[in-house]
Amino acid sequence: MRKGNKGALMLTSLVMALMLVVTAIPATAATYYSKDATVKDVVVDAATQGKVGNWGLGNEYEIQALLSKYGMPTTYLSQAFDMDGFDDDSILLASAMTYNELGLVKNSYQGGYNYGDKVKTIDMNDEGVAMLEDNIFTTDAFAKANPNTVKAFLAASVKGWAYACANPEEAAQIVYKYGSSVSSDHQLYMAGEVKKLVETDTKGNPVTAYGKIDDTAMQQTLDLAKTYIKLTDSVAADKLQTLTLDDIRDSSYFDTATAADATLGTPEKTDVSIQLKWLPQAQFMGYYVALDKGYYKDAGLNVTIVPGGGDISETTAVYTGQVDFGVTWVSNLIAANAGGMGLMEVAQIFQRSGLVLVYKISD
Amino acid sequence: MRNWKESWNRFSTVFYPILFGALMITLWQTGILHKILGADTFTLPMPHRIYTIIKENLPVIMQNVQATLIVALGGLFLGSLLGYLLGVVAAIFTKWGKGGLTLASAFNAIPIIAIAPILNNLTKDVSPNANIRSMVAKILVVTITSTVAMSVNAYRGLTEIKPFSMDLMRSYAATERQIFWKLRLPNSLPFIFTALRVSVPGCVISALVSEYFAEYIVGVGRQIRENIVLAQYATAWAYISVACLMGIALYVVLLIFESILLKGRK
Amino acid sequence: MKPVNWKKIFASSIWVTVAWVVGLIVVWEIGATIVAGVKRTPENVLPHLYQIIGSVFSTQKVNSSQTAIQLVLSNAWVTLARAGIGFMLGASIGFLLALLMSRFVAVEKMLFPYLMIIQMIPILGMAPIVLAITKNIDKSRIVIAAILTFYPVATNTLSGFKAVEKEKRELMYSYAASRFDIYRKLLIPYCIPYLFTGLKIAAPMAITASILVDTLQGGGGLGCMMSQSLKHAMTIYVFWQIVFLSAIIGILSYQLMVWLEKLVSPYPKELKNGGTGKAKELEA
Repeated sequence: MRKGNKGALMLTSLVMALMLVVTAIPATAATYYSKDATVKDVVVDAATQGKVGNWGLGNEYEIQALLSKYGMPTTYLSQAFDMDGFDDDSILLASAMTYNELGLVKNSYQGGYNYGDKVKTIDMNDEGVAMLEDNIFTTDAFAKANPNTVKAFLAASVKGWAYACANPEEAAQIVYKYGSSVSSDHQLYMAGEVKKLVETDTKGNPVTAYGKIDDTAMQQTLDLAKTYIKLTDSVAADKLQTLTLDDIRDSSYFDTATAADATLGTPEKTDVSIQLKWLPQAQFMGYYVALDKGYYKDAGLNVTIVPGGGDISETTAVYTGQVDFGVTWVSNLIAANAGGMGLMEVAQIFQRSGLVLVYKISD
Repeated sequence: MRNWKESWNRFSTVFYPILFGALMITLWQTGILHKILGADTFTLPMPHRIYTIIKENLPVIMQNVQATLIVALGGLFLGSLLGYLLGVVAAIFTKWGKGGLTLASAFNAIPIIAIAPILNNLTKDVSPNANIRSMVAKILVVTITSTVAMSVNAYRGLTEIKPFSMDLMRSYAATERQIFWKLRLPNSLPFIFTALRVSVPGCVISALVSEYFAEYIVGVGRQIRENIVLAQYATAWAYISVACLMGIALYVVLLIFESILLKGRK
Repeated sequence: MKPVNWKKIFASSIWVTVAWVVGLIVVWEIGATIVAGVKRTPENVLPHLYQIIGSVFSTQKVNSSQTAIQLVLSNAWVTLARAGIGFMLGASIGFLLALLMSRFVAVEKMLFPYLMIIQMIPILGMAPIVLAITKNIDKSRIVIAAILTFYPVATNTLSGFKAVEKEKRELMYSYAASRFDIYRKLLIPYCIPYLFTGLKIAAPMAITASILVDTLQGGGGLGCMMSQSLKHAMTIYVFWQIVFLSAIIGILSYQLMVWLEKLVSPYPKELKNGGTGKAKELEA
C-alpha cells in the first residue's frame, strides 16, 4: 500500500513537471506597429517574421495576393477559428472578417477580446486584391432543369436581404430565433457589418440592386483565382486557366427574376434546400428573414436552411445533390469547377470583400 | 501428392488476394464499381488518374509524407516508451497499477478530435517557430494515443507468467529483481509486439487527424482535408492512397522486426 | 441475498480506482491553476473542473431555447442512435464474414490480407468521401461506424473459430454431426467470447466514428456542436462537456458489451480462462 502511494505520487509529480514546462515558458513580448505605419511596412514586417495568419482551406487567396503585391512570399500561418493566436502575439497580422472576428477583437461582449481602438486593419478592397465572397449558386444542370425554381428562390432571397438590410436589429433577432448560438450582441454587430457588404461594392460605391452580379468584380476575382489557387492535380490546374466568366456565373435567372415586370411561372421543384458556408449567424440573415417572413412560401417554395461549417463543403453538397442551393465564396466555386463540378453562380450577395488583416498598434 | 498440396496452399495464399485485388481494380477502372456504389468519377476517380497525380507530384508528396512520418514515429516511440514504463510501474505496484491502467483505458474512449485542439492550445508557448510547436503538439497527440495499448500489454506481459516458470525461479531462490530481469522482461517481448500491432496503424491515423488541427500546414492528413474542402477529390484520393501505403509499409516493417526478434519463440 | 461483506468491498479495487480518479483531478486542477495564471482565455486551454461542472448546471441559454447541457444531450441522441445502428450492422457483417471465412478457406485467403489493409485506411480522412458517395449524412454515419466495427469483430470471431481444437471438431465428425450442427453446437458457442472481445473494441470506436462524421456537416450531433464550440460560435464549455460526455459514453458502451457477454455466454466459467487466451491478446 505504502509503496503504491509512492508510485502514484511519483507519477503525479512527473505529469505536473511536464505541465509546468509546457505552460510556464513565457511568451516573448512582440513589438506592435506605429499608428501611422504604411500598409507596406506592416505587411513586409509581419511577413518577414512569418507571422501573417489565415485559416487556409480556400480563404487564403486574397492574403496571398496582398503578400505578392508587396513582394513577399505567399506562405502564412494556419490560423485557428478564434483570435487567441492574435491575442497572444503568435500571429501579428491576423485574418478577420469585418462582420465576425474583427467584432470579437474590438468589442467587449461575451467572447470578445476588447481591443477597441488599439487595432488597425488593412482592407482588401482598398488594396485592389478583393475577391468576391458570399454568393448563391447551384449546379448548371439544376438551373437548366428548374429555371422557375431558381428564379423564385432568387426573388424571395433578395427580398429577404432587402428587408434584413433595412432592419438589421430585427434580422439579428430572427437568426437567433432559428437556433444560432452566436450571442445576440455579436449577432447585432454582425448584422450591421454584413449590411455594409451587401450595400457597397469593391470601389466603395452604393450597390444598385441587391444580389446583382458585377462582372468587373467577378473578372478580378477570377484573375486572382487563376494566379493564386494552386492545384496539385494537373488536369484541374489546366482547366482552371481556361475558365471564363461564362463558366462560373449565369446572370440571366437573376435578371429575369428581379425585372420590374417579372413573371415567375410555377416552380418545377418546390421543396428546396440551401447550404450555408458557415454556422448559422447573421452573415446569412437574408435567408432566415425570407424564411421567417414567408417570402419563400409566397414564391411557392418550401425551403430548408442547412448550416455549414463542417468539412463537407457547400460546393460538394450542392454537386452531389444533397442540397439544391449553396452559399460559397466565388474562389471556392472556381476551384470546384476547375475540378470538374459544373457549378453556376446565380446571384452575388456580398458585393465587396469582408476580409481584412488586423494588427495591434502601440499606444 | 502431399507436396503438391502444400505448394498449392502456399501459392494460393499469395494468389487469391492478388486475384481479388486485380478484380477490384478492374471493376474500378471500368466504372462498374461506380455503378455498384452509385458514385461518379468525380468523388471516386479512376485509379489511373490517382496514379498520375502521385507520379507527377512525387517530390511534394514526399515532403508531406516525411512530416507525417516524423509525427507518427516520434509519437509512437515516445508513447510506447512511456506506456512500457507505466506498465513496469503498474507491474511493480500491482494493485494500484491495475486501477491506473483501467482508468488509462478509459482515455481510449475520448475521440482524438477532442484531444488535438486541446494540445494545440497547450503547446502555444513551446517555440516561437510555428512549425516546431505544431510538430510538438502533433507528436503529443500520437504519444497519448499510443501509450495506452503499450501500457496494458506491457503490464500483462510482465505479470502473466506461466506458473511453472515462476515455481522454477522460486525454487532457485531467485530475488524479485532477478525474476524481473530474467523472466518478466523477456516474457513481455511478444506482448510488446501485440501492442505495436495495434499502435502502428493507430499512430498513422492519429498523426493524420492531429494534422487537421495543427497550426502549421503540412502533412498527408492536412492535404487530404485541404483538398476535400477545395473539392479536389482526385488529389485527396492520391493522398489517401499514400496514407494507406504508409500504414502498410510501417506494418510490414513491424512484421519483419517481429519475425526476427521472436524467431524460434513460437 | 448474501450478507454484505464490508471488508471485501473496502479491499476491492474500487478504492484504487477512486484514488486514481482523485489523483487525476488534483493533477488537472494544478494544471488549470497554472494555465489560469498565464493565459488570457484559460477556459479555451484548460478550465477548472468546477467551471465545467458549473456549466452543466448553468441555466443560461446558449441559443434561443436550450441551455448548454440540454443542447449537448439533445445532440448526443442523434449521434448515439446512428452509432448504434452502424455498430449492429458492422457487427453482423463482421460475424457473417468470419463465418464465411471459417467455412471456405479460399474466401479467407482472398479477404484476410484486405481485412488487415482496411485497418490502415485512414477512414477518418475518407469520411467526407463516404458522405459524398452516400449523399446523406445519416447514412454515412452508419456506414462509417459499420466499417470501423466490422474489422475487429471479423478478425476476433475468425480467431475464435480457429481456436476450436481439432479434436473437438473430429469428435463431432465422428458423431456424424451435420455441418449445421457443428456450427450450432460447437463453433458458434465457442467463439462467443472472441466475438465479444471484438465487440468491446468496436463499441467505443463506433461512437468515435459517429462523432467524427458529425463534424463534417452542420446538421447536428455531438461532433457538430463540438466543432462549432471550438470555432467559438457558442460557449467553449459545450466543447468541454462533450469531451467528458464522449469519454463517459465510450466507457459505458464497453461496459454494455461486458454485461451482454455475461448475459449470453452459455458457459460463463469454463470458457472465461481457456477461451479468451488468444482473444485477449487483441484486446488492447
